Amino acid sequence: MNKYFRELTVAIALALLLLSLAIFAPHFFQAQPIISRLTSQMPALVAAVGIALVIISRQIDISIGAQFSMCAIVAGVTASAGFPLGMAILAALVTGALMGAVNGVLVAYLGLPSIVVTLATMVTWQEALRLWQQGRLLALPNGIQWFGLSQQVGQMVVISVALTLVVGAAWAMKNLSGGRQIYATGTDAEAARLAGIDPKRTTFRVFVLMGLLTGLAAVLNLVQSPQVQPNCGDGLDLKTIAAVVVGGVAISGGRGTMWGVLLGMLLLANVNPALTHFHQPPYWEKAIQGLVILLAAVADGLRSRKTKF
Amino acid sequence: MKHKTLIAAVAVIATLPFISCSKSKSSSKITIALLPKSKGNQYFVTCEKGARAAAHELNAELKFDGPINSDPAKQNEIVENWITDGVDVIAAACENKDSISTALKKAQAAGIKVVTYDADANTDARSFFVNQATAQGIGEQLMDTAARLTGEEGEFAIITGTLTASNLNEWIKYIKERNAAKYPNMKLVDIKPCDDQKDKAQQEATNLLSAYPNLKAIIGVCSPAVPGTAEAVKQAGKAGAVKVLGLGLPSENKAYVKEGVTQAVILWNVEQLGYLSVMAGAAVAKGELVAGAKEFNAGKLGKIEVVGDNIVLGKPFVFTKENIDQFDF
Amino acid sequence: MPSSRSISLKLLLARHEVVLVLVILVEVVLFQLLGRNFLVGRNVSNVFRHSVEIGLLAVAMTPVILTGGIDLSVGSMMGLCAVLFGMMVNRLGMDPWFASLAVVGIGALGGGFNAVLITRLNLPPLIVTLGTFSLFRGLAEALTRGAESYSGFPPSFLALGNSDFAGIPAQVWIFIGVAVGIWLLVHRTTLGRSFRAIGFAPEGARYAGIPVARNTSIAYMIAGAVAGIAAVILVARLGEARANAGIGYELLAITAVVLGGVSIFGGSGTLAGTLLGWVALAILNNGLTRISDYRILEQPVASVARELSGLLTGLLLLTALSLGALTKTLAVRRARKQSLSDTSPNLVKS
Repeated sequence: MNKYFRELTVAIALALLLLSLAIFAPHFFQAQPIISRLTSQMPALVAAVGIALVIISRQIDISIGAQFSMCAIVAGVTASAGFPLGMAILAALVTGALMGAVNGVLVAYLGLPSIVVTLATMVTWQEALRLWQQGRLLALPNGIQWFGLSQQVGQMVVISVALTLVVGAAWAMKNLSGGRQIYATGTDAEAARLAGIDPKRTTFRVFVLMGLLTGLAAVLNLVQSPQVQPNCGDGLDLKTIAAVVVGGVAISGGRGTMWGVLLGMLLLANVNPALTHFHQPPYWEKAIQGLVILLAAVADGLRSRKTKF
Repeated sequence: MKHKTLIAAVAVIATLPFISCSKSKSSSKITIALLPKSKGNQYFVTCEKGARAAAHELNAELKFDGPINSDPAKQNEIVENWITDGVDVIAAACENKDSISTALKKAQAAGIKVVTYDADANTDARSFFVNQATAQGIGEQLMDTAARLTGEEGEFAIITGTLTASNLNEWIKYIKERNAAKYPNMKLVDIKPCDDQKDKAQQEATNLLSAYPNLKAIIGVCSPAVPGTAEAVKQAGKAGAVKVLGLGLPSENKAYVKEGVTQAVILWNVEQLGYLSVMAGAAVAKGELVAGAKEFNAGKLGKIEVVGDNIVLGKPFVFTKENIDQFDF
Repeated sequence: MPSSRSISLKLLLARHEVVLVLVILVEVVLFQLLGRNFLVGRNVSNVFRHSVEIGLLAVAMTPVILTGGIDLSVGSMMGLCAVLFGMMVNRLGMDPWFASLAVVGIGALGGGFNAVLITRLNLPPLIVTLGTFSLFRGLAEALTRGAESYSGFPPSFLALGNSDFAGIPAQVWIFIGVAVGIWLLVHRTTLGRSFRAIGFAPEGARYAGIPVARNTSIAYMIAGAVAGIAAVILVARLGEARANAGIGYELLAITAVVLGGVSIFGGSGTLAGTLLGWVALAILNNGLTRISDYRILEQPVASVARELSGLLTGLLLLTALSLGALTKTLAVRRARKQSLSDTSPNLVKS
C-alpha cells in the first residue's frame, strides 16, 4: 500500500476532478470529444514515458520539446519530398535517436551534468530549426493524416499505440533486466557498478530510448492534422516533467512507475479542459498547474522526511 | 611573462576602434529598417516580401530583423541597434505599444523617420501609421461576418494568440463593442489563447465545442488559430454547423475553405501592406510625405489616401471558396 | 622535462576565467573586423544596457547554484513583480521609488517561499522552482487577466532605464552595485563561503556547525529580491509593465552562470566567472547584429543574428563543458601518475 501511495493519491485527485466535472459540467462526458481529447494528449504521454525513464535514471532532459519539434519537421519534410509514410516515420525515429545519442554521449561518457547538456542541446536544436524553417506551416501530403486511414480508425490507432507503449514500458521496467538497471543506476550509480551494471551504458541507452520515444510521439502528433508547425514542441518539457513528477517519479532518481506517469499526465492535461467546461477564464491555468506541481512535491516531501538539514 | 602578454593584448584592443574594414555607405541610397512582431510568423515574412519589392523599386537598402517570439524587450533592442547603425527610416509593427514607443522616440530624436504598420505605437512616436484597415474596421468585419454566417444569433467563442498581445486585444475589444451595438442575440462565451500554436488551437477548439453545446461560431484572431480550429470542427463532425472564421493566410486555409469547414478567412493583401509601408517610409524620409497631406504616390499602388496620420491600405478582404484560388500567400 | 613556462601556460588555460577572457577577446576582435559600428560608444552602451536584467539574474543565481540548488522561478518572479509594480503605481498611485522597494521585498518573500519548501520540507529545488515558475507567472497572468498592462510612469522613473549617469547607463550603475555586493558576500564573508561548503557536502557542512537551512534560505531570498530589482529596471527601460516580462530569462541566466565555470552541482565557482560568462553572451548577442556585409544561408548575418547567437551559445556551452571535463580528466590522470611516481622506489627524479 505504501509503495504505491503517490500513484494512489494522483488517482484519487484525478477521480475527484472527474467527479466534479460529472456534477458541474456533465457535457464533458461525450464520446467523440473525449476520444479527440485523448488522442491529442497521447503524444505528450509517449514523450512523458521517455522522460520518466531519464529521470528515474537520475538525469534530466529539458531538450525534449526541441527534439519533438525537430522530429516532427523532419518527418514532415520527408513526407513532402514524396517519400512514403513509412520512411517519414523512420526518419523521425532516427532523428530522435540521434539527438538522444548526442545527449547520451555527453552525459554518460563525458560525465557532464545533464541539465546543462540538455539546456545546450535544446538551444542548439531550437535555433537550428528556426534557421531552417523560419516558422512556416508545412502542409502534409495526402495519406499522412491518420496514417491514411479514416479518422475513427486513426484515432483508435493513436490511442492504442500510446497505451500499449505505457503498458509495455510498465511491464518492461518491472520484468526486464534493462528496467532494473535503470532503477539501479538511478538509485546509486556506484552501487550499481559494483553490482555489475554499467551505469554509463545504461545512461546512454536511456537517452537514446527517450529520443526514440520522442520521435514516436512526434509522429503520433503529426498524423492528427494535415499541417505541421515548427513550434509544435514548445512547452513540452514543462508539460512532461511536471506530469511525471506529479505522477510520483522522484527527481532524485530510482523511483517511479509508468502508471504514475499515465495518471499524472491525465491529471495535468485535463486542468485546462476542465477550466473550459466549468466556464472559467483561461488565465488561471498556469497558476493551477504550478499549485498541483507544488502539492505533489510536498506530498513527496512529507512522505519521506529524511532530515537533510 | 604573464604581464607581457597582457600588455600586448591591451595594445591590440586599444587599436581596434581605429581598424575596421573600410565600408563607407553610399550616401544616395537610403536605408529602411523593417521590424516585424515576430520573424517566424508567415504573415510578417509575406510583409517582408512586399517590402523588398518596394525597396528594389526605390533602389533603397532594406534591413529586416525581429524577435523570434513576441518578446517585447527584443523589439526595443533591435530598434536601438538600428539607431547605432544610422538607418534612415524605421517601419515597425508594435508588440507592446508603450514600450516600443520609448525606443521609437529615441530614434526620432536621432533624426530617423519612423512609421508604423500593422500595429501602431503611440502617436507621438511615429509620423504615420500604415494601416491595413483600422483596428475598428478589422474587429467590425470579423463580428459582422460571424453575424452573417450565424444568422445574427447564437453563442460564439474567440481563440486568440496570447492573452498579452496588444493588437489582438484591441481587435477583440472592437469585436465586443460591435457585438454589443448591433447583435444583441449573439453572446461571446469564452476567449482562449493558443500561444500561436496550431495544435493548441485545435485542442482548445475541441474543448470549446464540447463545453458549449450551443456554440454557433468560433473566431480565430491569430493566423495559426484558424486552421487549428477548422481541424477540430472537422474532427468533431460539426463542419458547417459551427462556423469557422478568422484572420489568416489564404494558403494555410485553402483546403478547409474548399471543403466548407472554414467559411471565411479575413485578411488584406499582406504583401501590399509591406510594400506600402516601405513606400510610405521612403516618402517621409525624402520629404515627399508630410503632415497634413491628403494622399501620396505609392509606386505600383498608385495614389493612396491619407486620413490624418493614418495611411489606409483599404478594407479587410474576405477570402471565400469562390475567390481563394486567386491568391498564393 | 617540460619547462616551467609551458606548465604555467597550461595551468593558466585550465583556469576557466582565463579561457573566458580569451573568448571575449576573440569575439571583440571578430565583431569589430566583420561588423559595422561595433566598438562605438552607443553600441557598447547598448550591449550592457540590453543585458542588465539577465546579468542581475545570473549574479543572483550564483549563490543558489553554489549551494547545489537551482532557481527556475526568477524569470516568472520578474513578471509577477513587474505586474505588482504597475498596479501599485497606476492603480494605487504609489510613488515609483517606494513601489520599487516594495516589489524587491515581495521578490524576497517569493524567494523565501521557495526556501521554506526546499529547506524545511526537503524538496528538490528543481521541482519546487518548477512549480513556482508556473505559479508566479500564473499569478501575474491572473492579476492582469493576461491582457492588462501598466504604463504612463513618470519620466524621472523612466530615466532609470533610458538615460546615462556620468556616461554610463543608469541601470548599469545599479548592476555594478549589486554585482559588487554579491561578490563581497560570496567571496569575503563567512556566509558566502558557506554557500560553497553547502554545495560541496551538505552533511559535512552541517556537522561543521554551518546553519545550512538558514544560509540556503538567504541564497534563495537574495535571488528573489534581485529578480524584483531586474523587474523594476525592465519596466523602466520599456516604459510598460506586463505579465510576460522576463519570459525565458531564467535559462539565459543559468547559461551565463554555467558558462562562467560555476559547477551546476554546487561547491565550486566564482562570481567573476559568472560575470565573464554574462559578458561573453551579451557581446555575442549584440555583435552578430552588427554584421550585415556577410551572408549566411542567403541572408545577411544581421538578419538571422538571433537564431545564430542562440545556436552559437548552445555550441559554446557544449564546448566549454566538454573542455572543462577533459581538462579535469587530464588533471586527475596527471595527479594520479604523480602520486604513483612519488611512491615508487626510484627516488631519483630526472
